[in-house]
Amino acid sequence: MSRSRLRLLLACLAALAIVIPLAWMWQASLVPATYSVMDMGTLDYGGGPEPAAGAMDHGSSGDMGDMGDMGDMDMAGMEHGATTSVADLVTKADGPPDVAVDLVAAQGEVTLASGRKVPGYTLNGTSPGPQIDARQGDLVEVTVRNESVTDGMTLHWHGVDVPNADDGVAGVTQDAVAVGEEHTYRFVAEQAGTYWYHSHQVSHEQVIGGLFGALVVHPARGSRNAADSDTVEAMAVAHTYSGTRTLNGEEGDVPFVAEPGQRVRVRVVNTDNGPTQVWAGGPYVVRAVDGYDLVEPTPVTDRSVTLTGGARLDIEVAVPDDGSAVRLHVGGATALVLGPEGSVAPEVTQPTEKLDLLSYGSPADLPFDVSDPDRTFDYDIGRRPGFLDGRPGLWWTVNGKMFPDVPMYVVREGDVVVMRIHNGTSEDHPMHLHGHHAVVLSRDGVAATGSPWWVDSLAVDPDETYEIAFVADNPGLWMDHCHNLPHAKEGLVAHLMYEGVDTPYRVGGALENQPE
Amino acid sequence: MKSAYKVLAYLIAALVVVQSAAMVFAVAGLGIWVEEGGVLDAATMESEPTFTGALGFMIHGMNGMMLIPLVAVALLVVSFFAKVPGGVRNAAVVLGLVVLQVALGLFGHENAYIGMLHGVNALVLFAAALFSGRAAAKADSMAAPRTAATV
Repeated sequence: MSRSRLRLLLACLAALAIVIPLAWMWQASLVPATYSVMDMGTLDYGGGPEPAAGAMDHGSSGDMGDMGDMGDMDMAGMEHGATTSVADLVTKADGPPDVAVDLVAAQGEVTLASGRKVPGYTLNGTSPGPQIDARQGDLVEVTVRNESVTDGMTLHWHGVDVPNADDGVAGVTQDAVAVGEEHTYRFVAEQAGTYWYHSHQVSHEQVIGGLFGALVVHPARGSRNAADSDTVEAMAVAHTYSGTRTLNGEEGDVPFVAEPGQRVRVRVVNTDNGPTQVWAGGPYVVRAVDGYDLVEPTPVTDRSVTLTGGARLDIEVAVPDDGSAVRLHVGGATALVLGPEGSVAPEVTQPTEKLDLLSYGSPADLPFDVSDPDRTFDYDIGRRPGFLDGRPGLWWTVNGKMFPDVPMYVVREGDVVVMRIHNGTSEDHPMHLHGHHAVVLSRDGVAATGSPWWVDSLAVDPDETYEIAFVADNPGLWMDHCHNLPHAKEGLVAHLMYEGVDTPYRVGGALENQPE
Repeated sequence: MKSAYKVLAYLIAALVVVQSAAMVFAVAGLGIWVEEGGVLDAATMESEPTFTGALGFMIHGMNGMMLIPLVAVALLVVSFFAKVPGGVRNAAVVLGLVVLQVALGLFGHENAYIGMLHGVNALVLFAAALFSGRAAAKADSMAAPRTAATV
């Protein structure tokens, strides 16, 4: 063999040594056009019992790396019987609803309060969509018709522990509602508090585009909380439309008329992807987090409180007695100004210190024993270069693996579950578990000493480790993902799966279900 | 292959120029926007703000994390065939600097001083890409007359 031929051979080998691994990684990352999330990832039993063979409809015993075979695996899975479909996990309440709402979803332009129009989505012609008010115990029925959202849409009841069939996740608990179709959601509003609803189809575009609204569940009449009638209520729904920060759709200072001395409970909702800070011109009390009242919260001064993406805070402020107004800032650009008509509130700069909810309020007994959990899961968030469905880039990982090889957390109804969430990346992540509320046990090994702190959307900052606990009391197939919705699109999404539950819905396919 | 090598190496240098232009475009636009009353926090950052220059952040991210690494890998593959003296070594150095640059860019989100190194390494990478391109151009021009002579 001549010298030049040898050289060419070596060059070819060296080129293949680079190209083949890359091509293999690229090919292995491809996600089939349609798949069931049941077949996704690696089963993680968290040290709990594993179900008998055949009781689970997971495609294979583990690695979903070769997604190309997924269709076949699902066919095999369908031979197992004895499973409950998520479609059958509906509310037991029947009869006429206490609250009935009809919504029409449209794609086009959102008109801000300033008159400026931005491209986006509306519900009944507005964004935010109509606020839904219910009382604790009410049966809520919402029918949404998709007038013109071309990708299809759904409604997810963020923070409400609804039955799985009504969770509104396209491709997991339902098919996306196509243009011209409608879908009805029914659930009992069991927990009084502040919630919101939003599309969970192409959510990284539709939510920031305006397809959302607020949901408030007021305490039942005659309940202890309802008796607190000398407090009035205000809403502060924060959203950024095409870079413009708004509260309730309005920019800048948003007036709220209240009498001098009046106490106002402001329900603050962060519908954005990133966290924001909330602070007031006077002392304030954080009454509730993510729909759960805190125990004996104390007045806060000179501190802001973090409101992460998807989360809610009920904040009580008092209108000054002297006829002036008080300012409640939600981020630097917008503030609710609470006071008599025409009153002004002094400017107030953002405090440098932040309130730590880990030690805020008074401790109380938890409704379940967390000392001996049935299952302990790790949700370790990382980031590395690679291919995500064929696209090169830097993508999120869960427990070291990239989507779709993320863990599938398996539980059995009644389990006490502890989850350790670690953020090993340089960005913060608002972690959102569907269908459940978890209580924070510790952060970075420091045990919670304040009021029980229940969350459905928890800010996990870089290098932080949170330990949270919840009871598996709502059977179904639930997303457990980052509510910085573009992050979910970039692979930061896993699922919680109950034994014996199966879904007939598929991601992708002709219906083009794309939950992220 | 020598010309392919040359084009890819110069392309990397050009893309590094795009990177620095995009970043200053973005930061300048951000400054003007803040001066005009815009308020920046994480929620705004995550919502893809629309001020003039905001596109620069996106261009910087996509160009830096996807396009440049791909071109650098292509340069290394081409270098095996291009018979440029020191060409493989140069291409490997360029790819190494690209990997380092992406890492410095990411860690810059944790530590601003690392961001400073990201700026320094950008110039090193630019110089290395230019040097590689020139070496290939030189080899090309030396090879060309010889090829002509044999015809």
